[in-house]
Amino acid sequence: MRATTHKSIRDLLRQRAQVVAVGITIMLGVTLYVGSASAFQNLTVSYAYTYDRLSLADLTSTGGDGDAIAAAALAAGAEEAIARIQVDPPVLIDDTKLVGRVVGLPTNAHPTVNDVEVLTGSYFDPGATGQVLLERHAAETFGLGVGDTVEVFAGGSWHSLTVQGTVGSAEYVWPSRSRQEILADSRSFAILYVPEEAAEDWLGAPNQSAVLLPADASPALEDQVTRAMRAAGAVDVTTQEDQPSNAALHEDLKGFDEISVTLPLLFLSAASVAAYVMLSRRILQERPVIGTLMASGARRGRILRHYLAQGIAIGLIGSVVGTVAGGFLNGAITRAYTSAIGIPDTLVSNHPSILITGMSFGFVVGALGALAPALKASRTAPAEAMRSSSPLHGPGPWGRLVARLGRLPVTTRMALRDIGRSRRRTIATMIGTTLSLIIVLASVGLMTSMTKMLDVQFAEVQREDATVMVDATQSGFPQSLDDLADVTAVEPIVAGPVTAIANGRSYVTSVTGFDLGTAMHGFRTSGGRPIDLPADGVLAGVETASLLDVETGDTIVLATASGEISVTLAGFVDEPFGTLVYGSRSLIAPVLPDTGVDTYLVSFADGVDRDALRQTITQMPGIVSYADSQALVASATAYLGLFWAFVGVFIVLGVILAFALVYVTMAVSVVERTNELATLRAAGVPTRRVAWTIATENLAATALGLPFGLVLGVITAAALNSSFSSDLFRLDLVLGWWPLPAAALGVLVAAALSQWPAARAVRRIDVARIVRERAI
Amino acid sequence: MSTTTTAVAQRGISLKGLTKTFGQGSAAVEALKGVDLDIEPGELVVILGPSGSGKTTLINIIGGIESASSGEVTVAGENLGGRNPADLSGFRRDHVGFVFQFFNLIPTLTARENVEVIVELTGKGDKAAIPGLLDEVGLSDRGENFPSQLSGGEQQRVSLARALATAPDILLADEPTGALDLATGRQILQLLQRLNKEGRTIVIVTHNASIAQIANRVVTVVDGRIDSVKRNAKPADAAKVMW
Ligand SMILES: Nc1ncnc2c1ncn2[C@@H]1O[C@H](COP(=O)(O)OP(=O)(O)OP(=O)(O)O)[C@@H](O)[C@H]1O
Ligand SMILES: [Mg+2]
Repeated sequence: MRATTHKSIRDLLRQRAQVVAVGITIMLGVTLYVGSASAFQNLTVSYAYTYDRLSLADLTSTGGDGDAIAAAALAAGAEEAIARIQVDPPVLIDDTKLVGRVVGLPTNAHPTVNDVEVLTGSYFDPGATGQVLLERHAAETFGLGVGDTVEVFAGGSWHSLTVQGTVGSAEYVWPSRSRQEILADSRSFAILYVPEEAAEDWLGAPNQSAVLLPADASPALEDQVTRAMRAAGAVDVTTQEDQPSNAALHEDLKGFDEISVTLPLLFLSAASVAAYVMLSRRILQERPVIGTLMASGARRGRILRHYLAQGIAIGLIGSVVGTVAGGFLNGAITRAYTSAIGIPDTLVSNHPSILITGMSFGFVVGALGALAPALKASRTAPAEAMRSSSPLHGPGPWGRLVARLGRLPVTTRMALRDIGRSRRRTIATMIGTTLSLIIVLASVGLMTSMTKMLDVQFAEVQREDATVMVDATQSGFPQSLDDLADVTAVEPIVAGPVTAIANGRSYVTSVTGFDLGTAMHGFRTSGGRPIDLPADGVLAGVETASLLDVETGDTIVLATASGEISVTLAGFVDEPFGTLVYGSRSLIAPVLPDTGVDTYLVSFADGVDRDALRQTITQMPGIVSYADSQALVASATAYLGLFWAFVGVFIVLGVILAFALVYVTMAVSVVERTNELATLRAAGVPTRRVAWTIATENLAATALGLPFGLVLGVITAAALNSSFSSDLFRLDLVLGWWPLPAAALGVLVAAALSQWPAARAVRRIDVARIVRERAI
Repeated sequence: MSTTTTAVAQRGISLKGLTKTFGQGSAAVEALKGVDLDIEPGELVVILGPSGSGKTTLINIIGGIESASSGEVTVAGENLGGRNPADLSGFRRDHVGFVFQFFNLIPTLTARENVEVIVELTGKGDKAAIPGLLDEVGLSDRGENFPSQLSGGEQQRVSLARALATAPDILLADEPTGALDLATGRQILQLLQRLNKEGRTIVIVTHNASIAQIANRVVTVVDGRIDSVKRNAKPADAAKVMW
């Protein structure tokens, strides 16, 4: 081994603790990157695999004549196209009434588009009519299996069907009824695959077509097929991207995508700063040695490489460990996610490009951190060798200013001036503080915003406790609901799917008509200010503005299976979940088809037994379905489960980062001033007090970083939140009063705790050795 | 004689059979090989010897920043035998002041503050006495200057004032003129001599034989042992020393 290599290794060993701190920061950054980027990749690949295996439609039309549209799609270049019926009729499973979904399937063979995978039992017997394939979510929720029966209300009567098998479907990986209803009471939705002859017999002709494009389809072909389908009468054509389950899952993943890059980058830049501080300090200390080497003719390039190599070595070690750890994290995240959500296929692999990127992150970070110090070292003048100690710098304007603060204790003045003395170190400490606060506040911001979002949705916007659907021919409603002791209010509504159209654009959503002055729904504008439901005209979710390119006062068309109306857009509402349309019941009712069902929103007295009430209401004659709003909160929590776990991890990592950085700068400040500190120790100053003077300075530098960190943290939190937002759910930054002071305090505490090793370093100063080294 | 011994034990320095070994086994270096020495209160002693003879080790042990391997060390009435230097900061702050070859002033503090910070951090000495101390070392008008604005001699005088700030019984100086030219070095020696005349016990370590002329007693150390102890009947005036 060369002498310089020996030196590098010994140097790194001598600064062990700092090297470890820098290495850990790099490692965390790389681990996070590799773990989350690979998990994201895996999930994307897993979905694609499932979709491919079960032939998930590329395009789905609603409205019009399904058969004609399918034929038009094939003629326009589609690879496969099927027509099918899909209707949401009342369904009875055990004693639970709900609005289910009936989808017609051929009995003689699996469909060529939107296939199902039989999990238990078997596919339909050819020509069967009384059989049903139950989608796995409903099978799990209600504990049903082969041989059990369910009933469907269609064509004015109940039909009993026997479960032939339970199935999985690419359309319902996440069971959402529509894009507007990502979250649902699991006991209020069930997908039933029914033999198509029977379904069409009860419910009418195919109203959907599902289309598969060739594998290598160009956007132009997709466009051509879409236009052909519209021309053939399709009211709306939904792409696979916008398919409700797929969109919900991708929405959920979007966070991963953002976080897998942003967060590691924060860590890696922090690591770079730490490496920079550490190596700068050593080079400052070794200046006389470097000067001597230069004086005896050492090459600049050699010196440059010597120090650069040390930074790169730390970076590479950190990234190798980080990549390995990231590989494990990847598997853990992927499996946790797929099992939490219930994704049929889990493909875990480590993607070479991600591993290579992770490794090169470490290399780049190490090299970047070392570059400036190494350049400085290579430019050391040989004359530096002649100076026995680094030259004294004047106090500067800041030092002079502080000198005038004669009333303060000298130790305080010293701490204040030291902030200006080693600007590099102060700035590094400030950057560390800032980065930690960014990570912590961004995560806490996501958490508080998410909590607030759920609160807004389920306390301010949706104020009902349950939604009850009743057979329209049943008399006595809604009075019989109102008569229940625990029910405090009942209001009729009308609701149904609708296509909103304006400026040649369309958006498939839901429309709900309330009584004017409803107590069941809070309409709020972007600022959270309440507005009233207009007597004429409609309110629409704020995303509508960009989706349809409309503003308040414009006219939009609401189209349904039974007709369309032109209405004035009276204003926008800001609601966390979905982008919906609201109007008065008298305005909306005429455009919705008659389903033979009346819908009521119900609110309960405080503290009722919700299960008992569900039981009571669903057993009333004429009740078609019942959905509890509280169950939606549970669904939301499940959907966001992984998100919570991640937020927790980020907060912890942010604090670790604060520790690592403050520790490095602290250790460096002890080493840089060993001589002064040794002198103080020789004069009999207690270790505690010496350590305290250093701590004061570092805490002051940390405190200086706080304002930057708080401001940038809030900005980052807002950016991260908006990256999660879409027409499916809106996440506005709501921090509340406590996170800012708490985060600031947390970082200060982390800084204060990392004084402990610094105090140990002060205690370990070998006064005699330093005195002797200096007195050569 | 017995009265003197008591006084030495009370305020002076008493070393008996002092040894110091660095390292272990084959790497062991015997820096001190059995030193017996009494320094009486009010004495100015110069410890002279070639490089590597053990002078610094000796003065460091007296000052409590290094521990002895064996032997008895009593300084200002405190027995330092077997005590860990890390636990001796109380002893140092009560009894000794150090002056080193390099001044090690805190660059962000003015001359006056460099003295003041010691009073503040040790809780010993009197802030009100600081102007007097600066006056004594001849820096009454430079107190508000930062180290970067002072010459080497002036900086060494600040470090002298700093060493005196805790009103120590004993002043220990390791090569105090090592980094200075003849004229400034002489000024420092004059100061030390005057402080001694005012009653302070002073031990100076040097390899410069000329400096020895100002001492009451000259202790020569060679290879870890005391080679000779010479008493100067008439110490020279520091202002006239040449080297
Ligand atoms: N920490 C140590 N480990 C090993 N040996 C040491 C250590 N400190 C000092 N020594 C050795 O002890 C001996 C005495 O050292 P000391 O510093 O006391 O000498 P000195 O007389 O002050 O020399 P100089 O005039 O050069 O300052 C030397 O041989 C030195 O190498
Ligand atoms: Mg020496």
